Amino acid sequence: MSWLRRSSAPLAWALLLVTLMLLMPRLEEGFRLIAPDARTLIYQRDSFASLVANHLLVVGVASLCAILLGMGAAILVTRPWGRDFLPLVSQLASIGQTFPPVAVLALAVPVLGFGSVPTIVALVLYGLLPIVRNTLVGIQGISPGVMESAHGMGMSGRQILWQVELPLARPVILAGIRTSVTINIATAAIGSTIGARTLGDPIIAGIVNGNTAFILQGAILIALLALCVDSLFERLQ
Amino acid sequence: MSNVTSDTCALPPAAPNPVLLVLTALAAGAIVGLPLVSVQPNRIMPGEGLTLWALGGPMALTGALMVLAGLTWLAWRPTRRALSAALTLVGLCLALLPWALVVVAAAQIEPGMSSARIGLGAGLWALLFLLLLMLLELINRLALSPLLRWGLLLGLGLSLLLALTGGGLDGLALMREYHGRRAAFHAALRYHLLLVSAVVGISLLLAAGLALAMRRWSGLRRGTFSVLSVLQTIPSLALFGLLLAPLAYLAVRFTWLGDLGVRGIGWAPALIALVAYSLLPMTRNAFVALDEVAADVTDAARGMGMSPAQVFWQVRLPLALPVMLEGIRITAVQAIGLAAVAALIGAGGLGTFIFQGLGQAAMDLVLLGALPIILIALLVDGLFSALAEQLRRAQGRGETAHA
Repeated sequence: MSWLRRSSAPLAWALLLVTLMLLMPRLEEGFRLIAPDARTLIYQRDSFASLVANHLLVVGVASLCAILLGMGAAILVTRPWGRDFLPLVSQLASIGQTFPPVAVLALAVPVLGFGSVPTIVALVLYGLLPIVRNTLVGIQGISPGVMESAHGMGMSGRQILWQVELPLARPVILAGIRTSVTINIATAAIGSTIGARTLGDPIIAGIVNGNTAFILQGAILIALLALCVDSLFERLQ
Repeated sequence: MSNVTSDTCALPPAAPNPVLLVLTALAAGAIVGLPLVSVQPNRIMPGEGLTLWALGGPMALTGALMVLAGLTWLAWRPTRRALSAALTLVGLCLALLPWALVVVAAAQIEPGMSSARIGLGAGLWALLFLLLLMLLELINRLALSPLLRWGLLLGLGLSLLLALTGGGLDGLALMREYHGRRAAFHAALRYHLLLVSAVVGISLLLAAGLALAMRRWSGLRRGTFSVLSVLQTIPSLALFGLLLAPLAYLAVRFTWLGDLGVRGIGWAPALIALVAYSLLPMTRNAFVALDEVAADVTDAARGMGMSPAQVFWQVRLPLALPVMLEGIRITAVQAIGLAAVAALIGAGGLGTFIFQGLGQAAMDLVLLGALPIILIALLVDGLFSALAEQLRRAQGRGETAHA
């Protein structure tokens, strides 16, 4: 029961998302009020379920890569033999975050072309930064006393990493992953301008054709997806 | 000056700097293996990539590799003097890079070929990135003062600006796109900056009001912050979309709003959405800043007979300023990027070129939009960080003087 109560917010958002995703075609009359002149009221090119699934796939793959690479890089530069790279990596992570995600997405096209793959690569590159930064902050924020006593207890470097550093840094790292995923969901939506099939498609189609109904359908589903994922992190943290 | 003493103490066992060694090795790889530029006969035809070998033959390649070898040698024994020499070398390389392009453009494009253009290749971008990383690393190691740092950046910027305005780079595809739409570019740049300044101004006012209200009625705190953070999680494209329908409705319903230019598409949804995104960082920083001023400081001010208004304006606000500036910095940088997305809903700005370029598969047009946006974001970030740092230092000095 307590598990149910704890996960109620993400569940509620997820339920709302799935319901709307499946029932959207039945809401035609409602959308007629908003866009009386539109010829078609419901976005037809793809089913909403497949768009949601693909959006989640793009964000999921990108976030997973970003988590592995970002945490890996941060862990490497906090080991004794990688410490020379620490100032540069840390600065790069904070400077990189001032790059607007749209610009990173746009710059991926000349190098990689159009489609889902360049979108994922851009999302990984950009999503890395908050994760690297927060992992560094988390690991460096551990008090020297704790580290000394871990060494004093005869723990090996690997044991210290898994049993001391990562558990203590967990909240900060999770906050970084949350930022990264939030940005990725938003940027993946814009990814439909470079040919990734995501929930941005109905919005872009709506803007191009002047069809407010399409825009709303995409916008509502993306917003619900974002809120669902974010409330999940809220619970995790 | 204190560095000199620590340097002489730590001198003898100067181990090689692995960061510089790795970066120079990568740079050598980029020069040898990747095309630096591509030459296109016109806008549509794909270009032919040219490596340094193809551009300048064995002489140019040997010269470039010699420079990198020099850097490796300096990084091997990184005394302070060696690192300063390396910094000079890297700075010179970066400053001369645009001029090298001028030479390449003059050699590759004959005077009559008005539609031929030079695209920047993967090798050149990689080289630029690696050189900037070296610069960053050297600035870190040498603990350069802010004045020297800004001077260095100013010098590099000036060199680039001179090369760009001198006409020698007009053969670059990027410059061809720029000259094709010079008026539109300047209008978009002005508009982008105007939109961002309006967003920062409006959200600063709103955030100040909210922060003051929350200090007065603490019950407001939880609700306000949770609403603002929910707003922050909604993706920009979706928020623009969600605003479109009600604004379109309002503009039809109240004609005076329509006359003001409020429409479902255009600046109105962009401004509202950007302000909505800006409120969280701005309000959080304003609130934390005002709240964190130490109680003994305000107590002392009150004890000196200051009125509550005086305490606020003369003590609390000035002390809160650095953290509030941080909020303005985050907001401005975020708004610069989001304003680019707003181009999708017809709000104009530099994002227009990005999406036009993507639509026409004209990558240099994409660059014409994306590069200025990145540069502005970096510049604004740097300026506000420096300002906050300066303020903090001034206050720190004041505090120690008082003590």
